[in-house]
Amino acid sequence: MALGFEPDPCEKCEEMLQPYLDRELSDAERAEAEKHLDTCSYCRKRYRFEAELRRFVRQAAVEEMTPDLKAKLAALRTPL
Amino acid sequence: MSETTPEAEPRKLAEEARDRVRFEEEALALADQVYRVARRLVSTREEAEDLMQETYARAFRSWQSYQPGTNLRAWLLRILTNLNIDRGRRVQRSPDLQPLEEGDYFLYNKLEENGETDEDRVDRRLSQDDAVAALSEVPHDFRDVLVLVDIGDFSYADAAQILDIPIGTVMSRLHRGRRILKRELADRAVGSNV
Repeated sequence: MALGFEPDPCEKCEEMLQPYLDRELSDAERAEAEKHLDTCSYCRKRYRFEAELRRFVRQAAVEEMTPDLKAKLAALRTPL
Repeated sequence: MSETTPEAEPRKLAEEARDRVRFEEEALALADQVYRVARRLVSTREEAEDLMQETYARAFRSWQSYQPGTNLRAWLLRILTNLNIDRGRRVQRSPDLQPLEEGDYFLYNKLEENGETDEDRVDRRLSQDDAVAALSEVPHDFRDVLVLVDIGDFSYADAAQILDIPIGTVMSRLHRGRRILKRELADRAVGSNV
């Protein structure tokens, strides 16, 4: 539990969750997040869940293009 | 000034043809990845297929404006997103201005309140259809960024360039888009009652 004006480390870690998984944090910020995650199972569980959720949504959203469309795109090439 | 010889012109044409063929091959090799993003920017497969054909037709016509060595996938997606907006395919909705007070741990905490949360097994609580339906409910402006970063695996800087918006706007739309997505997923999660 944070006291006074010290920021709550879990709150700070939550703020860094998205840019951490997006690989958009600076080295120093990343090290700070990882240091907290090493000791905080509350945040660690939520980071793992978020990473898994993203993987799940990404896989669920994948729809491959049909061979017919591939052929149509190839046919758009400039004739030699 | 370069010296022009009778042999120079055919050589130049041959080099240009070679460069064009190389460009077309590289662009086609990326079509699967471009399609995965396109498919989630629009509502139906037919729309995505039309958009892909228009994008590739335009890319092949204007291949000389591509700067070799830069990100070709981002270049193709910039054409695609511009076409998507220009052709008015998107049914514009007013921005989602509902307050979203939840933090980034919102979905985990909601699932935890309603039973066991296994952080390694999201698929026990959500189906593939849930994910696709939830994504389609995210308003377009937020979804464009979400799809580019989460499905297309683009950096914030690439997404900003593709959509021609400031990087700060990418970050704020992504932030809001992900929270809307989580709210939609929470509505669909098995046994969540949230």
